[in-house]
Amino acid sequence: MSDIVADARITDEITRIPLRYPHPRIWWAFFAVSLLLLLCFAVSAAVLLIYGVGMWGNNIPVNWGLAISNYIWFLGIGHAGTLISALLLLLGAHWRNSLNRFAEAMTLFAVVCAGLYPILHLGRPWYFYWMAPYPNTMTISPQFKSPLSWDFFAVLTYLTVSVLFWYIGIIPDLASVRDRAKKRGQQVFYGLLSLGWRGSARHWVRWNQAYRMTAAIAVPLVVSVHSEISLLFAAGPIPGWNSTVFPPYFVLGAAFSGFAVVLMIAVALRHALGLADLVTGRHLDLLGRFLLATGLMTAYGYWAEIYDTLYSGEQQDLATLTDRLAGTYAYSYWSAVILNFLPLQLLWFAGIRKKPVALFLIGLSVTVGMWYERYMLLTTSLYRDYLVSSWGEYHPSIWEWGLYLGMLGVFFTPFLLFIRFLPVIFAFEVKEALRETGDLEHA
Amino acid sequence: MSAVSSNAIETMQAKLKGRTGRQFWRSLEELTGTAEFRNFMEERLPSLAVREIDRRTLLKVMGASLALAGLSACKGEADEKAYPYVNMPEGMTLGEARWYATAVGFAGYAQPVLGKTFAGRPVKLEGNPDHPASRGATDAFTQAALLGLYDPGRSQAPRHFDKPADWNAFDAAMAQQAGNLDAVQGDRFRLLTGPTSSPTLLRRIALLMERWPKARWHICDPVPADGRTAATEMIFGRPMEMHAAFERAEVIVSFDDDFLGPGPSQTRNAGLFADRRRMRQQGQGPSRLMVAEPVLSITGSSADRRVAASVDEISTLLQALGAEFGIGSPPDSLSDRHRNWLSQVATALRGAGGRSLVLAGSCHSPDLQALALLINERLGSLGGTLSFSDPIPASAPDGARSLDVLAEDMRAGRVTVLAVLGANPVHAAPGDLDFAKAMDRVGLRIHAGLYDDETAALCHWHVPLQHDLESWSDARAVDGSIVLIQPLVRPFFDVRSPHVVLENLLGRQANDRELVQATWRQAWSADFDDRWRASLDKGFVEGSALPLSVPPIVDRAVSAPPVPASGMVLHIRPDAGVWDGALADNAWAQETPRPISKITWGNVVGVSPDFARDRGLANGDEVRVSVAGQSILGAIWIIPGQAAETISLTLGYGRSHRDSIAAGLGYNANILRSTRSPWHIAGAEIEKTGERQPIATTQAHQAMDGFDFVRTVEAEDVQVASAGELPSFYPRRPMEDPSWGMSIDLDLCIGCNACVTACQAENNIPVVGKELVAQGREMHWLRIDHYFEGEADAPKSYHQPVTCMHCEQAPCEMGCPVNAAVHSIDGLNLQVYNRCIGTRTCSSYCPYKVRRFNWFDFTGDDPPSIQAMRNPDVTVRSRGVMEKCTYCVQRIAEARIAADKEGRPIRDGEVVTACQQACPAQAITFGNVADPNSTVSRRKAEARDYALLEEVNTRPRTTYLARIEASGTSGEDAG
Repeated sequence: MSDIVADARITDEITRIPLRYPHPRIWWAFFAVSLLLLLCFAVSAAVLLIYGVGMWGNNIPVNWGLAISNYIWFLGIGHAGTLISALLLLLGAHWRNSLNRFAEAMTLFAVVCAGLYPILHLGRPWYFYWMAPYPNTMTISPQFKSPLSWDFFAVLTYLTVSVLFWYIGIIPDLASVRDRAKKRGQQVFYGLLSLGWRGSARHWVRWNQAYRMTAAIAVPLVVSVHSEISLLFAAGPIPGWNSTVFPPYFVLGAAFSGFAVVLMIAVALRHALGLADLVTGRHLDLLGRFLLATGLMTAYGYWAEIYDTLYSGEQQDLATLTDRLAGTYAYSYWSAVILNFLPLQLLWFAGIRKKPVALFLIGLSVTVGMWYERYMLLTTSLYRDYLVSSWGEYHPSIWEWGLYLGMLGVFFTPFLLFIRFLPVIFAFEVKEALRETGDLEHA
Repeated sequence: MSAVSSNAIETMQAKLKGRTGRQFWRSLEELTGTAEFRNFMEERLPSLAVREIDRRTLLKVMGASLALAGLSACKGEADEKAYPYVNMPEGMTLGEARWYATAVGFAGYAQPVLGKTFAGRPVKLEGNPDHPASRGATDAFTQAALLGLYDPGRSQAPRHFDKPADWNAFDAAMAQQAGNLDAVQGDRFRLLTGPTSSPTLLRRIALLMERWPKARWHICDPVPADGRTAATEMIFGRPMEMHAAFERAEVIVSFDDDFLGPGPSQTRNAGLFADRRRMRQQGQGPSRLMVAEPVLSITGSSADRRVAASVDEISTLLQALGAEFGIGSPPDSLSDRHRNWLSQVATALRGAGGRSLVLAGSCHSPDLQALALLINERLGSLGGTLSFSDPIPASAPDGARSLDVLAEDMRAGRVTVLAVLGANPVHAAPGDLDFAKAMDRVGLRIHAGLYDDETAALCHWHVPLQHDLESWSDARAVDGSIVLIQPLVRPFFDVRSPHVVLENLLGRQANDRELVQATWRQAWSADFDDRWRASLDKGFVEGSALPLSVPPIVDRAVSAPPVPASGMVLHIRPDAGVWDGALADNAWAQETPRPISKITWGNVVGVSPDFARDRGLANGDEVRVSVAGQSILGAIWIIPGQAAETISLTLGYGRSHRDSIAAGLGYNANILRSTRSPWHIAGAEIEKTGERQPIATTQAHQAMDGFDFVRTVEAEDVQVASAGELPSFYPRRPMEDPSWGMSIDLDLCIGCNACVTACQAENNIPVVGKELVAQGREMHWLRIDHYFEGEADAPKSYHQPVTCMHCEQAPCEMGCPVNAAVHSIDGLNLQVYNRCIGTRTCSSYCPYKVRRFNWFDFTGDDPPSIQAMRNPDVTVRSRGVMEKCTYCVQRIAEARIAADKEGRPIRDGEVVTACQQACPAQAITFGNVADPNSTVSRRKAEARDYALLEEVNTRPRTTYLARIEASGTSGEDAG
């Protein structure tokens, strides 16, 4: 088989998806569910905006609830996309090529969800822009000591860079789809999106420069953004939050949860779109190893936190530790520990790492486990802080759960549109990778 | 005339013709309600015809009626004169507060206050600083009285047979009724009032009795103190009111006498007791308080030694103490714990002699209280720490049995007219009287009250009364002095003063001011004008306090007190929030956390930890408490420090009246009470129903868990344990002059809640209701934390008021992204509401959790009357913003403006925060900490000064003075 023919087949395999989607019925079913979730979002958000945050279960002392823990969770998930794509691009790891596009898309939508949460959680959400430094009649700039000001910049920057990175990466493939499109509408749609890409050598040079530069910006952002998010907790003088362990602990946790979600999506898309040739066993194996590695690092964070508390011996910190291990919300701590780290140990076995179903389930377990971890970190610290007189429990209201379900709709709806209408895998990069490694013959 | 109408006439005439014999028509409508008749009328008398109303006519009529409404608002009466307390400006300056001295009535006594008014609207009550019973302080009930004035739930117009009526109809009915009664000299007419000490009311009642000699006056007092008067009657031969000089008592032994607790004399007692405690702090002699009581009260939590003792054990203990001093014979059995306590009490009393005080609760048998008086005599404290005056609230002809006699007479059909004036017997009468049923046999029942309450619902007439703050009256304060009550505002609704309604009952019209003036014109004759004016100025009649004396003892033979039943005993007391139910409709009172349990919006069935364990009860379990066929359903609440078999119940709940905010809350303990034993009931049964009841508490966890939030020292000069200055990355900022700070003395604080309600009134703090309190969303800027320490059956109990600490290194300021939490140059931690976007980071970061968030729009839907009540100097907060204690920044600004005008610095003591002002114990000091000579700086320089959570290193501007617990006498006897 000649290179040309194989090239053409790969391009065809990837670019045919937007033009002739393989299983439209299943897609429609998923899309309908997503739209229902989106409706749930609209209703929950409307109730919230009309009546106020009181519709939620928050109180004094637990001022923050699901909104903030979900914010961190979504943002953490988002980080894996950038990590996989940008870091591995810079390191020249070619196996990334089959994963990066949808991982980046996942990042993008996860960051959108994450960004919506802190706005909706405000007492007066219509003034969220006061966090931005803009010329105003009050002549006040944001308060730069606050971790929240930096949150605002962090999320905004992260969103911008993610969009740029994802979009620059997809341009050549959009051009391929444009070239294969038969209908006029599709030709115009993809033609506009591909920004006049002709695939000339000069285009490729410029593209490579832009793409790698954006990647170089994005990689440190992953670390800095999630370190910053951790300051939301760590900067407060609250037992269980006020710890220097938090920034690395959060970054690793974010990568961990992100890889879990990438793994799940890879397995799902591989099955749904018949991409077994491209998302190969080797890819899954590598993802499994990554998940195991980041998982173990996160586990180290857990241990370091406990060690830190015991070593310092502060009465209040010890009390918070006891609350985590045995208090009202102990279930969230133990769920986090068990779901995050127990099934994970199966990944030591190469055989398991090749089984898509097992990988999917482990990924799911970690995703849920990390959700518990975020929830645990927030509630166990706030519900019993310093003065025992202020202790109070927090129970999320139906509207918070509604918003959470709805937020999944905000995530899945654009994601489903993405896999339906845009090339989910880098066609040209896969070709390049295959040619370089000589795998093309066997592909 | 057309054919149709002639037909109609015929039909009508035929109708009337056809009705012969006893076939009446009930109304003209029935007769004339036919279409034919209407047509006929229209033709004959076109002006009477009902027209189709077109838009233009409608507008015309509406315009006219609006104009008439405006006219009718101008009553055309001359404005009465009301005299300002401090200065009398010629005209009123808008935005400038004016102060008037007046009083609010409570349980028959007057609480002297100064009312702060803006543009004719009272917005805050403060204690009258010149009056010895107040000295500028108030209790929580008095603070809440302001809301009572503005309460939109008040009764606003007369009702007749439960339908809206007007005063003219009432006047006409009363005039006719009075005529009938005149003919029979008032036979079978009964007047029922609440407890009262008003000279004018008593004078007019006496006149009524003169005119209708066969009428009878009764009193309904749900919280009677007749045990105490009976005791004095035994000893002195006549009823007396007891006055204790707590400031002179170095040793106070209280046998279930909650003298610091809620009640009319709380402000006075707490102030005097704090005086004594301050003397101890300054090394001027000891101050020891020893308490034996069945249920932990705030007196008990201030005690140096407290022991839990059931009602029968109290009796035994007091008899044993009597025996120690040679009165009576010693009882045989005493537990080790009680013997230990008693021996310490006896030693302390012997040491102190006449500078001591032995008190027995007025709820106990008169014999027991008489015994306590005799012990006082032996100690030599009569005349020193204890003296007596004539009783202050009047007693009805039948004395303590007043209400029973009325109920008996009603049942026997001996009452034809019952007029209830400012009382609610249907709710408050003991269950064994079955008052509602007895009332059924009364021909005409008239009720005058602030609320359309349970009694109103069973009366033919209900007429609304004026609130004290909008009427003229007079009453006696707890020292017996006469306080003139003048209106701060013209009545909001179509209501009348009780004095006027009393005249109405006699078929007369009257004016409340003239009635009050007439009383004093008679008493003062020529001096009237001057004295009236001077008394209004000052708020009370100078030199009118009742003379104190110790009458000769006529009978020393104390009979052994009846042995109260042992075993399970129901222990009934007025509620610390709503009293006997008088404040049940007051949302501030409802939402004030009760001093010990921190429960709001309801009463509970309090049980001891042992009792709960034995019977498998948990907080919130619903139980049925039944006595002699009567039962109530209440929720269990476990209270450490309660005698094992004592069940504590409180009054004031189980309300059922129309549209009340109290409806559906708690149980009505009056149902279980009997006239023989209103306070302690034996033979009750308690069973779990299996249901759960929601309880809204603001502090679910009260164990201090080994932390040192409340610190104690052994003596006033002992340095409190402290880590000293902790290292910080941030250098201390130089202090500007002035810099504000606060010191709260935990040795003086009794946890009475006066500061909490004062803060609520001053700072326009919204009320959120039971559900939101249960969710942890109460809005109080100032809370009083309560902690237990030690064993569950004999705990130590501590109160700690917590406000915003105004930290110098405030975590909230660091957390806020939009500069809403900022520091002012004079050291205040400010919250800028209109900058706040509600991220709640400040509250998450606050180690003290003193910030409060507007989860909903708590203020926008307030009725107009509540809006009129708001303090115009304090911003009303909207939905979605954080708020917290401001150190009463509006008062600081006011003082600064005054000082700037005069070109001088702000004087020490010129800024008084609302909590500080209300505090009867003066536990709170506020001032300039940059000035080392200011009162607050001197207090902060004391060895007892410590910062709450100093390990967090926030450098709070509010610090505490540790409670003094002398060794060997500290807290509860552990033996």
